[in-house]
Amino acid sequence: MANGSDRILIGKEQRKRAKEIAKQYGYLPYMIERYVALWGEQEAIQFLKACEQPIKKSIRLNTLRASAEETLSRLKAKGVRLKKVSWLDTGYFADFSHISPGSLLEHMRGFYYVQGVPSMTVAEALSPQPDSLVVDMAAAPGGKTTHMAQIMNDSGVIVSIEQDRLRTASLESNIHRCGVTNSIVLRGDSRKLDQLGIAPDYILLDAPCSGEGLIALDPSRKRSKSMADIRYCATKQDMLLDAAITSLAPGGTLVYSTCSIAPEENEFVIDDLLKRRPETKIVPINIEFGIPAYPNPYGVELHESLTLARRFLPHKHNLEGFFICRIEKEESS
Amino acid sequence: MKPEYVDLVQWDKVRNQIDSDFGAGVTKRLLGTLVPVSLPRAKGISFYLVPSGWLQILDRDFKPFTPLSLGMWLGDFVDGMFRLSLPALERVQEYTSNRLIVSRRGAESFTYGRSILKESVIKIEPSLLRGQRVFILNESSECLGLAALSVDAYKIGRLAKDRLVAKNLVDIGWYIRRLG
Repeated sequence: MANGSDRILIGKEQRKRAKEIAKQYGYLPYMIERYVALWGEQEAIQFLKACEQPIKKSIRLNTLRASAEETLSRLKAKGVRLKKVSWLDTGYFADFSHISPGSLLEHMRGFYYVQGVPSMTVAEALSPQPDSLVVDMAAAPGGKTTHMAQIMNDSGVIVSIEQDRLRTASLESNIHRCGVTNSIVLRGDSRKLDQLGIAPDYILLDAPCSGEGLIALDPSRKRSKSMADIRYCATKQDMLLDAAITSLAPGGTLVYSTCSIAPEENEFVIDDLLKRRPETKIVPINIEFGIPAYPNPYGVELHESLTLARRFLPHKHNLEGFFICRIEKEESS
Repeated sequence: MKPEYVDLVQWDKVRNQIDSDFGAGVTKRLLGTLVPVSLPRAKGISFYLVPSGWLQILDRDFKPFTPLSLGMWLGDFVDGMFRLSLPALERVQEYTSNRLIVSRRGAESFTYGRSILKESVIKIEPSLLRGQRVFILNESSECLGLAALSVDAYKIGRLAKDRLVAKNLVDIGWYIRRLG
């Protein structure tokens, strides 16, 4: 796969300037070169500044355990300040002040889940219907599995797959804590999903990625990943998507997301999928959030329907960087 | 390793233990329309309750994946003893009067894995005996976990305030402690 950054051509002066900015903000120069190519210098600097700011804490109310009203009233009584996220049914920004969000009884009882707003948006973008068969291909630590179970009112079946042995412990723990009973947890490599012999109505692929959208949460990401790491992730994402599309029932829906702002792991990956798998198409997401994804990142023309996918950006939304794309598989495939 | 229909002899042991700990017929009420299945572990066996409609799915070979859990986790059978899971505890407590209500401070301490001292006891059914399993509830009747009584309930009034009343077996703080 050729990816976007292979196509970035910048002059000597721009490279020198990118190096200066990289030094000032503590990044690897290749990252700044890409940001400048993607957004221009002014917006790239806005992004870098936004990544120096903390991200607001947020929680999802788990209506499988308690009504939203009950949880809100209990948390308010404990001094937690809450503000609803406008596009989410049960998502709230939460200021716990000096209380640890995990230490409250309401958390232990599964009344809420501490989760980033973009992560909550992913499950709502898929919105699986009750009684359907759903696969969560990279399920740990369980935020999206438990959210989907809530949306499905704990009906149907969610097959939650995780490869990492340690992370499966957190996945199981969160499933039990949140009162989810419609899930089957499997350990294994989701690239082999097509060998499982099921045809899910919905698949959620929150793909393992380079985490380039999480710099505000993890400043070490400024220097910890190379372009080769991003390419490695993109290759794995291609394989996961292929397995997902092969398994998905005709007419089924997939949501692909990453916590990366890199077009190389998002728009380019989806554009390649559309070319490789003509039975797929991008469809609109039925909730309003973020901004449209890029149909021509770095000046490379990609499929125009990519504008139906959405992005969260730290400098535009004060949230983690995220990419969310809803894809349908043709009924007749 | 794949989910299996329960072995009837083993299931009898599970049922007998739940019913003897919490009252006759509790297992049946817990089951409702669900079906018990088991998953063999390196040590012992885990039991789960699933809708009967899932049996079709469970008949398949899950290879190349390894099933880790499914449906509602009922508990684990290890070293000849059945231990009820945390999710199952909350359901079982609805069907039993084995309850010990504790103060706010006692409740907080219990969810940190500590046991119940006399000073935390608010209310207990006086007929409960030493060794019996009791659900620990806070003053709002929320189930916090399970403990073993270390003294007959009717004798609690005679104890000093710092004496042990019930030993913590499992509490909801485990969900958080387990993740480190």
